[in-house]
Amino acid sequence: MSRQGLPEWLSTALPDHAAAPEALAQSARQQVETMGLPGLRDEEWRWTNLRPIHRGNFKTAPGQTAPSVTEAQPAEALPLDNPVRLRFIDGMLQGIPDDLPSGLHLVSLSDADEATRTAAFSPTPAPSADDPNDALVTLNTAMAREGVVIDVDASSVIERPIVIEWLDGATDGAMSHPRVLIRLGQSAQASVIEQSESVGDQPSWRNSVIVSKIAANAALTHIALGLTGPARLSTERCFASLERDARYHSYNMQLGGQVIRREYDIQIDGTGAHSDLIGLMMPRGKQLMDTHTRIVHAAADTTSNEHYRTIADESGRGVFKGRILVERDSQRIQAFQSSNNLLLSDTAEIDAKPELEIYADDVQCSHGATIGRLDEEALFYLRSRGLAAAEARGLLIAGFAQEVIDEIPDETLRYWLTERVQAQLGQHPDVAEA
Amino acid sequence: MALLEIKNLHAEIEGKEILKGINLTVNAGEVHAIMGPNGSGKSTLCHVLGGREGYEVTQGTITFDGHDLLEMETEERAIAGMLLGFQHPVEIPGVKNIYLLKEALNAKREAQGLDEVDTFTFMKQVRELVASMDMDDAFLHRGVNAGFSGGEKKRNEILQMLLLEPKLALLDETDSGLDIDALKVVSEGINRMRGEERGIILVTHYQRLLNYVEPDFVHVLYKGKIIKSGDKTLAHRLEAEGYQEILEEAS
Repeated sequence: MSRQGLPEWLSTALPDHAAAPEALAQSARQQVETMGLPGLRDEEWRWTNLRPIHRGNFKTAPGQTAPSVTEAQPAEALPLDNPVRLRFIDGMLQGIPDDLPSGLHLVSLSDADEATRTAAFSPTPAPSADDPNDALVTLNTAMAREGVVIDVDASSVIERPIVIEWLDGATDGAMSHPRVLIRLGQSAQASVIEQSESVGDQPSWRNSVIVSKIAANAALTHIALGLTGPARLSTERCFASLERDARYHSYNMQLGGQVIRREYDIQIDGTGAHSDLIGLMMPRGKQLMDTHTRIVHAAADTTSNEHYRTIADESGRGVFKGRILVERDSQRIQAFQSSNNLLLSDTAEIDAKPELEIYADDVQCSHGATIGRLDEEALFYLRSRGLAAAEARGLLIAGFAQEVIDEIPDETLRYWLTERVQAQLGQHPDVAEA
Repeated sequence: MALLEIKNLHAEIEGKEILKGINLTVNAGEVHAIMGPNGSGKSTLCHVLGGREGYEVTQGTITFDGHDLLEMETEERAIAGMLLGFQHPVEIPGVKNIYLLKEALNAKREAQGLDEVDTFTFMKQVRELVASMDMDDAFLHRGVNAGFSGGEKKRNEILQMLLLEPKLALLDETDSGLDIDALKVVSEGINRMRGEERGIILVTHYQRLLNYVEPDFVHVLYKGKIIKSGDKTLAHRLEAEGYQEILEEAS
């Protein structure tokens, strides 16, 4: 089947100049014009229909935005201690804070030097420029105008969380293709939290790419909180490469949005390195929430731990695909993956697919995917203690989510998320912390 | 008025009749032991009393504390004061023990027109009970029965009963699979529950429990019927002679 190329509205939006180094941007423009957007025929997209984007007729937000737009605030306040805030409104960075902790350097992508911009557009593992499955990354390379570079010096521990606020849809029908580069020097430590919300209720589309490069013995905590946004479309791709003894801890909590697709590509290149991929998706209404993860164990004595849960209600749709690749000489690997999924209605749908490819022989790998309904036995047990059926049901659902939330390291954020999820489930927020 | 009165109870599951005319009266202050071999209908009786879905009562009546039990939902039975101790307590990871205890207590208090229990009083009481059951405080913040050993699960059942103070405690094979130390702790818990205002039914496979909790009445359940009733000496006879002798005598 011949590919259709980009929808016209998107093709005409391709800029002459982008933040990527010119040769990269130009080549990406040509590739993506030919490939078009990924479709259901592409292996990594078979469960994720991008029709709302195809039909979206989105426009790049104007560079100078009106004050009403630049004054946009996130609706939900995270309980963070003195965060370093990076606010993006429809992909446009609203300035860099000036009171940065020592060891942390921030520069907007457009102000970064060529070598830095080249790094931002050269993720490891490298996506394929002519593979339609990777077309959205290529599109981002062709279209990225703005973004931010987060550098942490060697041995610097940044205590203040770095928050990237993605406020989408401040202009009706806005799209954005931001690019973020995070580089941790040797033995550095930092936490980056992405908070995604839409400002209005009109459709918006963000196609973001985050490239993390974690040097030896450094640790990056990367939390994504997908919050409100009735018409928020978001395609997000995260790359992380880990040198020796590096750690990447990711938490992907998707609680709102219309179509949310998030992908993780983790390249474990150094011995002793470890990656956590933890996630919770709660699609309902007609929401689609999709996470694809790919972990490459390219060095011996490396470990990964993956734990995803989806709770699909009403006509919500959840997708999880997790691939683990252990290369030939990567011995003594431990890679664990579990995907547990809960269907709360007859019209909800969940697709879960683990994929293990192992070429080494001294490897401990396990994966398990379950899709089920609420446990009748557990419901009976709770009711036999006097809890009303609706309450017992709510408690079980919240408990199912809680096991993922409990993995979040920050206690305050964990508590906030517990309440946030229970509120969404219609539960009263009294978690017995007594 | 009897606390529990079961008359001519017939019940089936998936069209197969398991209970074939049970008659049993339990008064407040009494401890009854129901014994029987595998497949005699012990667990079915507990499930029917608990209101488990999938069991159909085809004949007979059950009256509990003046209520028509068969008209009540599972949670209504609990709130009215009948608590079922599970043979296999369910693991519910993600729901903390402390949370379940508090919600269960508050559900009961709400039905009695009382305010929610205040946290200080509640925690004090719970900690005392936890200690009395030879358990660790840390257990309160773990998921309900999640990763518990068999003995811990059964202690947890008794702990819940001690907190919720039911009018009728129905213990389904609470002693099965316990080593002697756990059995002693569980038995002490049951003995503490004994009282003028409370009925206790011990459904058990083994006579051993009755060495620690002395029943007022012993019933032998066989093929869905109570074929013999007596005092605690009946249990000793069962232990000494086995079921066969009693069965032959009854038939």
